[in-house]
Amino acid sequence: MSNIMGVLFASENESKLNELTIHRTAASLPFCGRYRLIDFVLSNFVNSGITTIGIIARSNYNSLMDHIRMGRDWDLNRKNSGLAVFPPFVTSASRDMYKSKIEAVYSIADYIKRAKEEYIIISNGNVAYNFDFGKLFEEHISKKADITMLTCKSETTARRVLPVIGKNGRVSEIIFSNTQGRVPADVSLNVYLMNKNLLLELVEAAFSRGQLDFEKDIILTKTSELKIHAYDVKGYVAVVDDIKSYYYESMKLLNKQARDNLFDSYGDIYTKVKDSVPTVYAEKAVVKNSLIADGCCINGYVENSILFRGVNIGEGARVVNSIIMENGQIMSNSNMSYVITDKNVTIKENRNISGFETYPIVIVKDKVV
Amino acid sequence: MKHKKECVAMLLAGGQGTRLGVLTSQVAKPAVPFGGKYRIIDFTLSNTINSHIDTIGVLTQYQPFELNTYIGNGQPWDLDRLNGGVFVLPPFMRAKSGEWYKGTANAIYQNIAFIDKYNPEYVLILSGDHIYKMDYSLMLDSHIKNKADCTIAVFEVPIEQASRFGIMNADASNRIIEFEEKPKKPKSNKASMGIYIFTWQKLKAYLVADEEDKNSQNDFGKNIIPNMLKAKENMYAYSFNGYWKDVGTISSLWEANMDLLDNKSGLNLNDANWKIYARNSAEPPHYIGADARIEKSLVSEGCEIDGSLKNSILSHSCTVGSGALIENSIVMPGAVIESGAVIKYSIIGPNARIGRSSKIGEDLTAPTENGEWEIALIGPDEIIKENSVVKKGQMV
Repeated sequence: MSNIMGVLFASENESKLNELTIHRTAASLPFCGRYRLIDFVLSNFVNSGITTIGIIARSNYNSLMDHIRMGRDWDLNRKNSGLAVFPPFVTSASRDMYKSKIEAVYSIADYIKRAKEEYIIISNGNVAYNFDFGKLFEEHISKKADITMLTCKSETTARRVLPVIGKNGRVSEIIFSNTQGRVPADVSLNVYLMNKNLLLELVEAAFSRGQLDFEKDIILTKTSELKIHAYDVKGYVAVVDDIKSYYYESMKLLNKQARDNLFDSYGDIYTKVKDSVPTVYAEKAVVKNSLIADGCCINGYVENSILFRGVNIGEGARVVNSIIMENGQIMSNSNMSYVITDKNVTIKENRNISGFETYPIVIVKDKVV
Repeated sequence: MKHKKECVAMLLAGGQGTRLGVLTSQVAKPAVPFGGKYRIIDFTLSNTINSHIDTIGVLTQYQPFELNTYIGNGQPWDLDRLNGGVFVLPPFMRAKSGEWYKGTANAIYQNIAFIDKYNPEYVLILSGDHIYKMDYSLMLDSHIKNKADCTIAVFEVPIEQASRFGIMNADASNRIIEFEEKPKKPKSNKASMGIYIFTWQKLKAYLVADEEDKNSQNDFGKNIIPNMLKAKENMYAYSFNGYWKDVGTISSLWEANMDLLDNKSGLNLNDANWKIYARNSAEPPHYIGADARIEKSLVSEGCEIDGSLKNSILSHSCTVGSGALIENSIVMPGAVIESGAVIKYSIIGPNARIGRSSKIGEDLTAPTENGEWEIALIGPDEIIKENSVVKKGQMV
């Protein structure tokens, strides 16, 4: 696999994640108790032997930089290859900040050219799955494809990229749907494998015409000219692009099969090591059907929920159908149902907060309720 | 001088730990798991780096493979340094000779060249089989202030237990006058913790002399310390008041783990200013099933729990089947407890599998007369068939 490099767009798809991406890129969105979304793509790259990885951040990348540091937790602090992070200020003064993937790739064309690898995988940072890119590469070669894109079967199609796939796996058309269509449907993971020279050609041509949208201006217009194939990823795949999908995909992981799929199917998923202590269950703790990270202290009732590292649940507090991110403090006798609290949120005593399954309430980072 | 370090730590990790039975059949004692996600040696390594000592030699001899792999380049403890860091030092062959470490003092003697490379003023001698959080830099300050040749950390034990320890008799200024190994009639309750700071040039002279003495056992407690006392060197006791426990036996290992569940024990790992670091296992959060019941316990990452847990420690990557019951026990990493198994007052070794409806251990109310709890012990990778019974204090 040493012949493939990876480029990861950390900031795509964040406009719809509202409150959760005020302080961060979509890629650094906390997920499943102890991870950030980017961990899955990075781990997949590393487990597949891809170690030249560029990360393009557009805005709010501070939390991303803090998370990945020098890539050490993914074994990417290498002498040869390793991780390169491109914050917006890398672009020359004549250009604005990246508006799109096309501009982003164009601005790091030198980095891509200089790399020794022949092939490139470009990926958004908002997909959680456990996948061997080696299989994608085999398929790409055996089908003699120009571009191979990853797809999965999804229950959500609204505002996603929907490829129309022929019997032989060839993509004949791309549909951009604004409303929910018939499901389950094939949706794009926005992950593409191709020869890097092809990517550079396509991007340069599009850039010089002022085109911005990678999917609409490149993939859609080339479906007949180029052999674009789809590779269907089986098992658990979470494409997180709005609050609803974030909540839905998180809660799916309370199911053992989904969990085994995400964590045990191909490689280990790595994340930033925080050296938290094991979780303490105190005398009054009652926990059912929940995922609990290290460093929590639980003395209340928790059901159908996900607790990130360092969460405290006070005596008599009830947390149901909720996601409590790192260092959440839920004080005694509070009631929470269908709530997502971002990092460092404090819920004081006797508060009652309730959302609904299709509309979980989000409490912004660092707030005290 | 280039590369000079004020203080180099030498960690004695070669002990076989025979009293830990099957737990140390494959690994050295310092590599035995502790507290859900740690190994015993993590405490000493973390103390060292937290005390701003960044050069550590780890002396290994018995079953070193797992310990060597675990320490690796020292990265989890922030010990992957350009100058200094952690070094695993096994015994090695020299041009003319070469031998195993004959004793604790001989282990240091054989590594004089390693220490000299950093030209330190002081050397800190540690052992890798104690559970405690200690700031060695304060002990070093006291050593420097006293202009001591040797400072020995002491822990005040109840006087009735003092005859089980090496006891330091010191004057009002903490200067050590006498050292007695396991005295029948102890004159003080200051027990040696096996932690020494020496002024390096002084220690080096004694090590060389000790090596020439053919009758010596080449041991710090039996030879070096008594010889230095005899020569009236400047030796001081340094009292340590925090939590400290030697986990050399099954019973004490169990007790120290249980102390993690007791808020009053003084052993608190959740301390942002004194973190205990460990090599991470890359496991997802643990999952608690709909029928699980967990009370007064510690649970680590990667576990899947459908049974009940009370007053117990579940290490990372364990599975507990439905209807299983674990009380007052320690389950080490990767163990599988099948449905309906009942485990009481036991230690389940790493990757062991306890078959359906087995009964391991029995309810205990107090330790036996010699102060030991009769903990049942299942060894690493052991497979216990379904419906088996393992009695209290039994080892499999």
